[in-house]
Parts: sequence; structure tokens; C-alpha cells
Amino acid sequence: MVRLERRRFLRAVLAGGTVGSCAGWFAPLVRALQGHPARRRRCVVLWMAGGPSHLDTFDPKPGHANAGDLGDRPTSVAGLRIGELLPRLAQWAHRLAPVRSLSTREGDHTRATYAVRTGRRPGGPIADPDLAALLGKELASQSSDLPHSVSIDPPVFINPAAFSPGFLGASHASAVVGVLGEAEEGGQSFPRLGLDYLEGLTQRRTWRKEWLQWLESQYVESRKSENALAHQVAYQRALRLLESPAAKAFSLEQEPDQVRERYGKSVFGQGCLLARRLLEQDVPFVEVCLGSRELSWDTHNDNFSRLRKLCEELDTAWSALLQELDERGLLEETTLLWIGEFGRTPAINQNAGRDHYPDAWSCVFAGGGIRGGQAFGKTSAGGEEVVEGKVSQADVLATLAAALGVDPARENITPLGRPVKLFDGTPIRDLLT
Amino acid sequence: MRYRTLQVIGALVWGSLVAVVVLPVEAQSGPSSSAADRERAWAMAERVDQALRSRWQAAGIDVAPVADDSEFLRRVYLDLTGSLPPVTVTRRFLADPRPGKRRELVDKLVHSPRFAAHMAAVWRRILVPRSLEPDQVPNAVGFERWLEQQFAARARFDHIVADLLTAEGDGTRGPALYYASLEAKPEKLAASTAANFLGLQIQCAECHDHPFDHWKQRDFWGYAAFFAQLQRPADNLPGNFVVADTDSGEVYLPGTDEVVPPRFLSGELAPNDGYGTRRARLAIWMASRDNPYLPRAAVNWAWFLLFNRGLVHPADDHGAHNPPSHPEVLDELTEFFIASGFDWSLLIQTLASTNAYQLSGKGPTDTVPPEAFARHLPRTLDAETLFDIILQVAGQNASPSASGINARILDANRIQFVLRMQAANSREPTRYERGVPQALLLMNGPLIDQLTSPQSSRLLQAVGAPFFSDEQRLEAVFLATLCRFPTETERRMCMNYIDQAADRSSALGDVLWGILNSAEFCLN
Repeated sequence: MVRLERRRFLRAVLAGGTVGSCAGWFAPLVRALQGHPARRRRCVVLWMAGGPSHLDTFDPKPGHANAGDLGDRPTSVAGLRIGELLPRLAQWAHRLAPVRSLSTREGDHTRATYAVRTGRRPGGPIADPDLAALLGKELASQSSDLPHSVSIDPPVFINPAAFSPGFLGASHASAVVGVLGEAEEGGQSFPRLGLDYLEGLTQRRTWRKEWLQWLESQYVESRKSENALAHQVAYQRALRLLESPAAKAFSLEQEPDQVRERYGKSVFGQGCLLARRLLEQDVPFVEVCLGSRELSWDTHNDNFSRLRKLCEELDTAWSALLQELDERGLLEETTLLWIGEFGRTPAINQNAGRDHYPDAWSCVFAGGGIRGGQAFGKTSAGGEEVVEGKVSQADVLATLAAALGVDPARENITPLGRPVKLFDGTPIRDLLT
Repeated sequence: MRYRTLQVIGALVWGSLVAVVVLPVEAQSGPSSSAADRERAWAMAERVDQALRSRWQAAGIDVAPVADDSEFLRRVYLDLTGSLPPVTVTRRFLADPRPGKRRELVDKLVHSPRFAAHMAAVWRRILVPRSLEPDQVPNAVGFERWLEQQFAARARFDHIVADLLTAEGDGTRGPALYYASLEAKPEKLAASTAANFLGLQIQCAECHDHPFDHWKQRDFWGYAAFFAQLQRPADNLPGNFVVADTDSGEVYLPGTDEVVPPRFLSGELAPNDGYGTRRARLAIWMASRDNPYLPRAAVNWAWFLLFNRGLVHPADDHGAHNPPSHPEVLDELTEFFIASGFDWSLLIQTLASTNAYQLSGKGPTDTVPPEAFARHLPRTLDAETLFDIILQVAGQNASPSASGINARILDANRIQFVLRMQAANSREPTRYERGVPQALLLMNGPLIDQLTSPQSSRLLQAVGAPFFSDEQRLEAVFLATLCRFPTETERRMCMNYIDQAADRSSALGDVLWGILNSAEFCLN
């Protein structure tokens, strides 16, 4: 334990010693010049709160009674078909890889959200970090002014422990971007997204900052304890963020109207645009959530009309994100994962809805490190069970890590001194480039 | 409450008259300790200091200087009452020339109503470390008030534990929150009670035996079996959870049909004579001489709370694999605690009366291992305490009193603040980390913004009275927050700024803003 503490202490000292030298906008350039020695990608997770129906999205069963009225549609890849409600994404199928053989155990939102986001069984003795904390930590670059992990409108209320850095501690918590209301821009109304309390400190900022930094240095120099240093480092990073040109990434109003409209005027749409801006500023992990307020994908009733609306929102924003990343040469450097906490019952219930279903469901990989243009795994004719290539949530998370260039077997040490792998699963080889 | 249980336990344990002193004793709840108690505490403190000193000498360790009065005053107030001293108290203490004033203050604080309330908050945070869900807040009030009554009555610590283990009823008047937070599951209650009351990490054996672990899977489930006959909360209704025993319920060895009977961690099976609930049997064992773990674990927690690191570290992981830094101190303090009748207040008073507790946090740091306790190790204040003292500084809560638990916990701003500040579930329940979002919240959030702007800050309004000079105002801000006068440099920096400012009280607000955000304010 003592040894570990010293190591953490040293790390904090080092972090304190190197901050402030390199402004955030400069970092991407430096990395480009260094030619990506580690070959690590950036990560986007599209989190579908409530659990999206696999049959109505990426595992269509046209003609089967379970499909309802919905059909499928051809895509940019011969032989690969997806749900009819996703026309724009169909054009990107060569970069998409649906996994149709996820099979998990948890059928309750609270537990399933924890299981999918941490890769581990809920209720265990360890406070498991979520994927935002785990991957943000692995992909972090010390030179950036921005947080290394950002979550846009996450449904934390479902289970705070599933949106937590767990034993890694608050310094690895992802920065939560919330919806701060609506804003009129150019005669149009968009949801306003922002990092809380990023605005402010304008008044008399210079003196306040100097004064605080002086107080900090007096205190910390006379007692270089780990937590005093951690306090100083957190404030240095926060102050840097407040003043960094990179913080402008959060100002969506800098984008032309037609770009903002391309993503759609939804929270998810504007969140995807914000994700693109953050990726451009070298934030290595961004997640954008769809349906957080009302668990929109939780379609126990009226599944089909609700799916039309949800898929429209999803299709518009996600395809715009893929296109803009591609135009900027960032798609190859970015791995995307579309996933929720479980799928939905293939059988349609009496309220024209679908209920929770963990036995067989889908997620989708896209972008860099992924062999797009193929579907992995297979469900039965009605979508009830996996008949080929069954994988767990831990396998999916391990695949994500591998595509990003991170060894999923890397270990973190819990405060108890126990090494814990990032993810216990096995990467799906067929999906990796 | 639950005196019946206490009497049963009292009759069974310790086999001496000491055990009969269960109910609140009037003579002990006066404003200060009896002379005999005080003498015992101070004598014990001397022995602790001797033991630490001989270690320092043997290892040639540089020891930090004794903390000045300001550092000590702020520390002891935060540690024993969870609040800052009022400015008048600070001025009086700093001006008091008597050498015995520190021990006297400790004696006074340990007997203040605020001590019991603070100990209740501390133990609630140890036992229910995660941020509270809004629907659990009324139960947190119930739990803290229950604990406060125990500490205020100076109940024996082993009896508090036993009572917790046999508690029944809903959460508004008792410790049901503890059971609800663990979903009343045998395996969770087993892991938590073993770690917190016995200092034993047995949960690693929940799933299977580990080659190097002392505790085997059967030990874990045998212990968990004491909690097998509890009603479980209905799904999604944690707010309404009522603790009650049932007649049936067993635990099984995972993956088998094998029922594991209740067995104490000392190895004996619980007698199967049909007398008392399983929880009552565990409670009796907990408070009995057969349980060597409870007093040691409690002593180590007390040490942890005052020195911010246990003699055994982490504080809830005792065992051959993790020996204490000062076994002789832990042994002697454990004897002392047992002989005192598990008197938690006296234990805290003893530790706070040591010279070691008075060491400064300044001084040689890089070379001295923390487990030498040769300097004070600062701790990051928990979010609740931070919120409370920020409000206190702002003058919103000028006279902290024991009756404040309701109002404090139910404050919606406090709940919000804590949820945002306490992102991490760290292993040591009283250890906190802050990241960038937390720094942003403190720097730019509405709380500190209100409290540092002259229009809404009562502190700034109070010191703004016309008969004060700006220097006196500056002094008052420093005393209210850091319990010290500004240094010469600080005085110069601030006065230059205030003198040039268009709005002098806004400028003083800026000074306050810096202090409230500083490590010196946020750590203790």
C-alpha cells in the first residue's frame, strides 16, 4: 500500500509539474508530428438510454410476425440489410459493423446499465469504474486543457454507480455536459448544451486567479501531501480550461446554421456535433446519450410510432457525425460504439410495445479499427435467441478497447491493492482491422 | 431504544459490573470529563506519545514542529464538531496564554452537543459511504439522529454496534438506512459489518476460496447466514424499507444446494437452541469477549479519524497480511478502550490530547513515511462538511447546534452539492477526491458566488459595518475561514487590491472567494 501511495504521489507531482506548458489547440499538431507512436484512437460511445429494439434497427426480420409493419432496406454493402427506419446510415454501412449476437443476463435498467457500462456484475465488492472513466484514463494525454472524458446528457439517475469513476476516483470522472435550456440562434431554437459552470469568473478574474494560486502555492509548498497536490492540480486544470482556447469547443453557436441543422435540432443531434468539436480538440473519449430524460428507448407501449421518431433523430445525427469525421480525416482515428443496456422482446406485446430483453440483442461498431461492412453473429428467424457468435457485454467492451489500441487486459490497481483488468472479455477478432 | 436487547447483552457479556452501565449516566453527560477520566485520558496520551517518540528516535526521523494555535484550533474543531470555531472563540483562544488550553478545549468539545451530532455524521458516512439518493434522505436523518442519541448518551460503543445489528423498524427513527443501503442482503451486510466493525475483509471469499486469504468461502457464508432471516426491501421502494426479522431464510454455498449454518468468525457454530433471532446471536457475540476484533477495529477507526490514516491502513483491513504500523500502540489503546467500558468519547479525547495530534502539517515531508505520524497528514473535507462550513462562514448558520441535523440533511442545496462534489465511491469511506468538475462547481457555482458577493453575503455585510477599517475586515475574513490572521504578505497583497478597487466590499468578496477555493480551506 505504501509503495502504491508513493507512486500515486509521484504521478500527482509529475502532473503538477507539466501542466501549463502546452496549450490545448497545439496538442493535436504535436501528436500529428509525432506520428501517433501509440496508435491510439479516439472513442465515441452513442448511449441509447432505455434499451433500443434490435429488431427495429440493426437486426431486422422483415416478414416475420415479430417485425410488425417494419421492413428492412439495402445498404451501401451488398448483402447487408438494416432496418427501414435508418436510410442515411444505410449509406454508411461500409463503415458499420452491427453485432447481432449480444446475450447478457440483466433485464432491469439499473442493473443492466451497470453491467454494460462497467462490463461487470452489479453488486460486487468493488466500485467498478464505467467505460468513460476506464477508457478516458487510458487514452488521456496530459497536454490537453480539456477533460479526457466527456459525457453528454447521461441518464445518471438510472444508477449513479453506473456513471461513476468507481475506485479510480473523481479525477477520472467524466465531465458531464448537461442541457442548460433552449437557445434562439439565427431565428432557430436549439437545445443549449454546456459544461456546468464553465461560464463565469469573468469579473475580476485576473486578481482572483493570482490570489488563489498564491494561496495554493503557499500551502502546498509547505506540505506536499497527496491530497493538497490533487487539489492544486484540479484547480490548475479547471483554471486552464476556463481560459483555454480549446474551451471554445463547447460553443456550438460558432458553427454555421446549416451544420447545426444537419445534425438535427435534438439534444442528441447537437450532442453529436459537440462530440465532433471535442474530438477535433483531442478529447479522447466522448459519449452522447439519446433518450436520457424519459428513457425514450424503453418502448413498452406504442413501440412503432416511437421508434420512427427515435430512429429519425438517430439516423440524422449519427450519419452527420460520420460524414463530418470522414471529411476531416478523423473517422479512421475514431472508433464508435452504439449500444444501450439491453434489447427488447421480439414478440410484440398487447400495447404494441416491446419489453426488456437481454437474451439476444444488437450493438454496432463503426469507424477506425473496425472492419466495417459486415454483421457479426446471428439470431433466430424471430430474433429470440442467438444462433451464431454469442458474445457478452465484456466481449463487446474488450473489442472496443482493442479497436482503440488499448489492451483490454491492462490492469488498474484498486485501493485495496488488487489488480483489476480493464475488461474481462475477449475481443471479437473478426471485427478488428 | 431497544433497551431490552441491551439488557440481554449486558447480562451476557463481560461478566462484570462494567457491562451494566448501559443506560445514559447523568454524571457523565456534564460539560466536562470527571477528573478521573481526564487523568486516565491524559496518562494514556502520554504513553502513546512515548511510543511514537521512541520510534522516531530509533529511526532518526525528523519530526514536524508543533502546530501553532490557529492550525490546532481549526483542526480540532473540524475533527470533533465538523464546524469552524466562531470568530470570537478564535480570538479568545489565540490570545489565551495558558499552556493547558488545548487539552481543556478538547475536553470541552468532546462534551459539547455538537460532538455527538458530528460523530453521528461521521459514522453514518462510514457505514453508508455512497451519496444519498433523494428518497433516502429522510432515512439519513433518522439514522443520524439515532446515532446522535447513542453518542450523546455515551452509550458503550459495543452496545451501539449490537443495537445496530438488532435494530427493527422503519428508517425515520432508526438505522434502517444502513440495511436499505445494503438491500438487506446477507452477503452485503456480512461484508460491510465485518469491514467496519471488525476490520476484516472477508468479502473476497464470497465467490470462491483464494489461496492466500485467511478467510474461506465457508467462513464468509457462515457469517452471512446471521443476516439470512431478514425481510428484503420490495423492488424500487428503498424509501419505505422496514427492518424486520422473519422465521426462515438460509444462505447457500454458491453454485450448490448446501445450506451454510450461521458460524461466528471466531470459528464456533452459533448454538441452535431456538433462543433469539440470528441477528441477536451475532449481536451478543459482537459485544462479547470472544470477539477480539471489535475493540481493535474501533480504536483504529478513532485513530484514523484524528490522524487521517489508521495504525492499520487501510483502516478496515486488519490481518497478518497488513500489520499495524505501531502494534504496541494499538494493543495498549485497545486495552484502554476495553477497560474504559468501550467509551468512544474518552477514546477520542485521549487521542486528541496527544502531542502527536498537535503536530503541524508543515515540515519535512518527502522523506518521512506517512505511517510514522511524524507530521499531521491533511485530509480533504467531505462534501457535507465543506458545505456546512461554507454556509457557516457565510453567516447562514451562525450557531451550530445539535438540533441542526434535520435542517442540515434536508437542505436541498446541500443534497445537490454533495451529489456533485462526491463523484467517487472511494474505498476508505472518509476519503474524497476532487476533479475538474468539482473545482468548476466551487469556483463558478451559485453557492460560492452568492456567498462572496456583497449583496447576498452576510459575512461581508457584517464586517462591512462602518466602524471597521478595511484591515479589520480583512482580519475578520481570515479568522472566520482559516482561523488565523493574514500574514504580512497576504495583508499587503489584499490591501493593495482593496485600496485600488472601485467597490471595496466586492474586492473583499474576491479575497473570500480565493480563500474558500483554497486547499487550506478545503483540507484539514
